[in-house]
Amino acid sequence: MKARKDEWLLCALFCGFLALMCLLLFLLPKSDFSETEKRYLADSPKLTADSLSSGDFGNDVESWMADHIPGRDFFVGLNSYYERLTLRQVTKDIYLAEGDRLVEKPVTFDEERVSKNVAAMLSFAKNCEVPVDVMLVPSGGWAVRDSVMGISDPYKDEQIISEVYSRLDGVNTFDALSVIGGHQDPAALYYRTDHHWTSLGAYLTYSAYMESKGREYPVREDFEVTLAEDFKGTTHSRAAMWLIPGEPIEMWHGPSDLTVTNAETNTPHAGVFYEERLQELDKYTVFLDGNHSLVRIENPEKDGTLLVFRDSYSNCLGGFLAESYGTVILVDLRYYNGDVLELCQSENADEVLICYSLSNFMTDQYLVKLYVD
Amino acid sequence: MLFSSNVFLFAFLPSVLLIYYLCPRALRNPVLLLWSLVFYGWGEPVYLFLMVGTILVNYFFGAAIHVRMQKNRNAKWFLFGGVAINLLLLGFFKYAGFIAEQYNHIPFLPDISVPEIELPIGISFYVFQSMSYIIDVYRKDAPVQKNVLTFGTYVTLFPQLIAGPIVRYYDVAQQMDGRRESVSQFASGVSRFITGLGKKVLIANAMGLLWEGTRDAYGNVEIMGLVHYDGVLAAWVGIIAYALQIYFDFSGYSDMAIGLGRMFGFEFLENFNYPYISKSITEFWRRWHISLSTWFKEYVYIPLGGNRKGLPRQIVNLLVVWGLTGFWHGSSWNFLLWGLYYALLLIIEKLFLLKVLKKLPSVLTRVYSLVAVLFGWALFYFVDMGELGAFFSRLFSTGATDVYGTNLILSYLPILGIALICATPLGKLIYSRYENTAVVRWGRILGCGVLLLLCVAALASQSYNPFIYFRF
Repeated sequence: MKARKDEWLLCALFCGFLALMCLLLFLLPKSDFSETEKRYLADSPKLTADSLSSGDFGNDVESWMADHIPGRDFFVGLNSYYERLTLRQVTKDIYLAEGDRLVEKPVTFDEERVSKNVAAMLSFAKNCEVPVDVMLVPSGGWAVRDSVMGISDPYKDEQIISEVYSRLDGVNTFDALSVIGGHQDPAALYYRTDHHWTSLGAYLTYSAYMESKGREYPVREDFEVTLAEDFKGTTHSRAAMWLIPGEPIEMWHGPSDLTVTNAETNTPHAGVFYEERLQELDKYTVFLDGNHSLVRIENPEKDGTLLVFRDSYSNCLGGFLAESYGTVILVDLRYYNGDVLELCQSENADEVLICYSLSNFMTDQYLVKLYVD
Repeated sequence: MLFSSNVFLFAFLPSVLLIYYLCPRALRNPVLLLWSLVFYGWGEPVYLFLMVGTILVNYFFGAAIHVRMQKNRNAKWFLFGGVAINLLLLGFFKYAGFIAEQYNHIPFLPDISVPEIELPIGISFYVFQSMSYIIDVYRKDAPVQKNVLTFGTYVTLFPQLIAGPIVRYYDVAQQMDGRRESVSQFASGVSRFITGLGKKVLIANAMGLLWEGTRDAYGNVEIMGLVHYDGVLAAWVGIIAYALQIYFDFSGYSDMAIGLGRMFGFEFLENFNYPYISKSITEFWRRWHISLSTWFKEYVYIPLGGNRKGLPRQIVNLLVVWGLTGFWHGSSWNFLLWGLYYALLLIIEKLFLLKVLKKLPSVLTRVYSLVAVLFGWALFYFVDMGELGAFFSRLFSTGATDVYGTNLILSYLPILGIALICATPLGKLIYSRYENTAVVRWGRILGCGVLLLLCVAALASQSYNPFIYFRF
């Protein structure tokens, strides 16, 4: 029986596809680091008698191939759009909202984490001689909860934050949720492609916080705003919906001459924006050079020292706080391993702020370092 | 090695196809044997010894039986010996731990240590295949295979090595040496393989996630003033999802095996025939894992006398066959229970129910069969009897399903719908009706292309793992 043309074509395409993928996989240059995933990709497997007989070699080859498959970004994106198209958003970590916006799925209440973190904060506040404030920032998904598209689990940020605050007996809490929820366009307070708040979101919270403390702060018009284009943040890389465009980062340059040093590089830097880092894929590091265990911002025109235990939301907020204090010290408990009470005393802190985004508060395992025995 | 892995698709398969078709015909079986051994040893090379041993032992017994029968001498003891060795192998690797555990439950006897043996992949399948060979030779149903390499190729043939279908030697004896590959056959193999891959990667995996999400009762706990209910709806959707997962996983695997076989010129028998449209349990087992049911029928049920020795004996035979079928699936009590559950249903159907079912409208008989099968899958899944009981009480509770459960179900609705339609012969009917039109012929290429790309995309995404803690 003679084969038909379409049968020939099907065989040719199938074999051609396998052969092409196979050749490209072994011939294309490999990168060791994935910028979108922020992780090192699998090393090429080592063939030894040991790895072969244990079966590890087989597993290593599979992970290596999965990490280096030709057109990986294309395939990951294709899968992402396919799953959206079949309505499976709820099973993903990132939801799509109107206006090409990607937000994290709702934070869920974790009783164990909350009790541990609350106990740590209470014990710190009790042992610390200066006033301690706690601020939990609601998620970007909560802010735009009415415009999330398709099926989505409910955002409970309001209930969760008030539950946590109610357990913080005797500690001052700041209601950032009302500031953000009360704005006429909450979407403008968070990035479209990242989980962080925008400079506007941080500024509004900062000004309301200063208002509550009775401290001075510059008005919006005092800031000079410059833009960095085409920022694509974490929710963008996690959702892998590559057709969603980037967005600008606003840098708000304030009136004061701020000097930033961090514990790792220890070189003074003029201003809170590290514009050289805009060349990198992760443009968010323009704020205070990204993550550091301890960052010190000095403002010669003001006085008072504020110590902030914080997550990366304060990379942006820190620059604003420094407009109102002589010294702002930002401590990232993931990397900082010193004694927190000693730090408070040695720096002569006048006030302490514990500021976390709700999603980090509910997952962070380092906040317990605040616990004082 | 799994078919749905990058290693298989983009390294193993292209190289074995290339080498196979570059080689002259005489070398093609040895090439298949060699690559099948690589395929088998990929994850656990140590069991290659077991595989080679199985091949040699069965080759020897087949030859010995053949030689004795040529000389008109009794070969019965060689048959028993061969079968016993195969059963001992299977018993040791699959059931030793279980038997030791049961022994330890007997009071007054000293405890023995329970051996921890990792089950060699595919052993239940290739041991059954090997047994079919020596029995077929003994019965003169199939010719003896004189070439040990060709025999090795039959036992290890990678398309059906690790999850069937259980190919009886009788069915492929001719093909081992006499097959002729063709482009048409290769093309139908490609589309069959891709269909199977899609069933596994796009449907079964998704149904598995839905089952996982709806399976575990988290009880009625109050979190933040919101009461969570696991709910009766989630339980039913869950068990349906599990039924679909197991069907698409297994039949997808059989499709891939049949498709790969065709690429190398083999024709294996069908293993599934739309089991979920059955109108009785008797019919279900003619449509589900056909190669296993056939194996037990040919080599256990009929030799025991089948239905020829009166009703009481037939009932005993059914109980034996289905107890064994249950245990074949795994070494724990729930599998035995699952097998006996089916024995019971089949006996009741034989006694009177089939006659009743014939008179009922087919909607009712289908619902009866499906519900019976769903209960069966619950027995099949839960190893722990307490969990099984809890799940059954959920199936018949009145608890509402909360917003999270409802959202999960809603979000899987499209795939669930696709899965339900694909579990019926609707697509096949339409396809075969218009098979010879140009649209379907060329459309098949497009369909295969889209399916394959989606499968590769799903496989690539499994490793895509943005490191979210890198930066808050």
